[in-house]
Amino acid sequence: MAYEPGEPTPAGLSEGRNLSPGRPSLPSVPRAPLAIRVEGVRKSFGRYPALDDVSLDVRPGELLALLGPSGSGKTTLLRLIAGLDFPEAGDILFDGADVTFAAAAQRGVGFVFQQYALFRHMTVAQNISFGLDVRKRGSRPSAADRKARVEALLKLVELEGLGHRRPAQLSGGQRQRVALARALAVEPRVLLLDEPFGALDATVRKSLRRELRRIHAATGVTTLFVTHDQDEALELADRVAVLNRGRIEQVGTPSEVYAAPASAFVAGFVGEANRFEGTVADGLFRSGAVRLPAPGVEGPAVAFVRPHTVRLAAGPGQPDAVAATLSRQVANGPVTRCEARLADGRDVEFVLDHAAAEALPPPGNALWLTFAVGHVFAVG
Amino acid sequence: MTAVAPSRSHPRSRPRASAGTDPLWIRVLALTAVIGFLGGMILLPLATVFVEALSRGLQPAWEAIREHDALAALQLTLVIAAIAVPFNALFGISASWAVAKHDFPGKSLLVSLIDLPFSVSPVVAGLIYVLVFGLQGWFGPWLQAHGISIIFAVPGIVLATVFVTFPFVARELIPLMEAQGTDEEEAAVSMGASGLMTFLRVTAPNIRWGLAYGILLCNARAMGEFGAVSVVSGHIRGRTDTLPLHVEILYNEYDFVGAFAVAGLLCLMALVTLALKTLLEIARPELDSHGV
Repeated sequence: MAYEPGEPTPAGLSEGRNLSPGRPSLPSVPRAPLAIRVEGVRKSFGRYPALDDVSLDVRPGELLALLGPSGSGKTTLLRLIAGLDFPEAGDILFDGADVTFAAAAQRGVGFVFQQYALFRHMTVAQNISFGLDVRKRGSRPSAADRKARVEALLKLVELEGLGHRRPAQLSGGQRQRVALARALAVEPRVLLLDEPFGALDATVRKSLRRELRRIHAATGVTTLFVTHDQDEALELADRVAVLNRGRIEQVGTPSEVYAAPASAFVAGFVGEANRFEGTVADGLFRSGAVRLPAPGVEGPAVAFVRPHTVRLAAGPGQPDAVAATLSRQVANGPVTRCEARLADGRDVEFVLDHAAAEALPPPGNALWLTFAVGHVFAVG
Repeated sequence: MTAVAPSRSHPRSRPRASAGTDPLWIRVLALTAVIGFLGGMILLPLATVFVEALSRGLQPAWEAIREHDALAALQLTLVIAAIAVPFNALFGISASWAVAKHDFPGKSLLVSLIDLPFSVSPVVAGLIYVLVFGLQGWFGPWLQAHGISIIFAVPGIVLATVFVTFPFVARELIPLMEAQGTDEEEAAVSMGASGLMTFLRVTAPNIRWGLAYGILLCNARAMGEFGAVSVVSGHIRGRTDTLPLHVEILYNEYDFVGAFAVAGLLCLMALVTLALKTLLEIARPELDSHGV
């Protein structure tokens, strides 16, 4: 299970070669990145369905985000893939081999828990080498090899010299890195992370996101992470699977999911959007004064308009201009965020660059807006 | 005291009630009440035991402890504890592991059952065994036919002690294990550790201090139990008398020095337990950190 010559060997891990001979694993040897297929999986807790007929293909070596609100089933899906829970129906395949009911230990997964679940009575080094220490005699690397592997992993997660500390003596970000190193120590075929940055403050969160990308690039291991934070998913992942109420609503690249949401839920959950309820007739969505092109939709509908697609109109004469009153404007970094109230009392948010914002009247005054693009979905 | 050196850190160290501190008179009142209660209800009687035991000097007290029946009672007490405590430690670990780390139907019933010995009077606990194993009981005739004696013999005392001390270890471990959750175990399993390996390397080290504490409490009760043991023992001097029963016998025979000397011995064993418990509590906070 060592990295094959010719494959990208992670820079800091070259000492780790050939450290895990004969590990009991399901499909056979060459250590190309793993493809995962989830087919028609169902799982419920009591009467509450956590996953309802979920199918998902994870491509070899990709970094995939499971994005959804709490209770959407994303953590359940991750645990089923890890072998920490088992589905009531459906299959889970690793490189085509059925692992649906295989024990976690047999799957070769690295799991990073939301609260890290570090062994509190062990040092950092003991934590990281645990997965190697518990192997059966014969497939267990020698003490010197294990030590070298721990050192290489500490270097990979930039915690050199902290091997002797205990988890309680580390900061949240450092614990997260230890959890990551521990999960990687067993040379997993897939790395699974449950809300990896959930418990960290914003600054640490940002730098660890970059870190995870770097480590993913260095190891090339197929990686899934669960998050409820759309920024995190869009920024970090190669592809995003959006979950809602136990179903996958859409799988796509971050730009696909953002620019072409497949459902009203995705449009509302991923990225900011103004939501309008109305009806579509003859390919035109109407909601009060707001009109949007809506090809292929008919009847009651809901429309989502991104704040950055709203434009200022020159005046009431411009076609489709909607009258509004500016409520507030705030310079936020490179852009100006604005809130306005339409004549029928609904509030809309929009974003302008600073140059365009100079044309704004003072708050409390009238202005005209155009809504040119939106995502329109039939309701019911 | 004529010249009081001013304290360096608090030049005007007048006790002041700051926010979050109750007024001085309340604190003084509460503290006086507690000290008065502890003194009157616990320290004074404890002192009485030793004063009475030594009322005619060290020699008679020492004789009372060295006397044959007293030594036999001491030995029996230690044997009972040596059987009951390991048994209940094992049971407590398995029960709390099952309750805290797993979900199964009837779990709350099991938890209530574990608590039963705390809520049942020890006398009833003793009677239960008499009814089951005694001569007039369910298995009595059969046991007698096979020459096995349980009631009015050592096995009965062991059974009664085990029953009464059942909950101590489990009660200590269940909340601890529930607070620790199952994440660490799941992490260990996901890295390929077997069930036994996970228990030995992850679960056991996390509960060792709680376990030690529970064993200590269990042991204290096992050596001091009176009610349940009194019912099943039969009070045969030198054979089925434990230390607490021996104290009662001596007292009923108006041998006050003897009774209090043996009681003093029990108290000393309790004080050792208390000292060990305090040591554990000092060692525990840094080693049993829950905040990871």
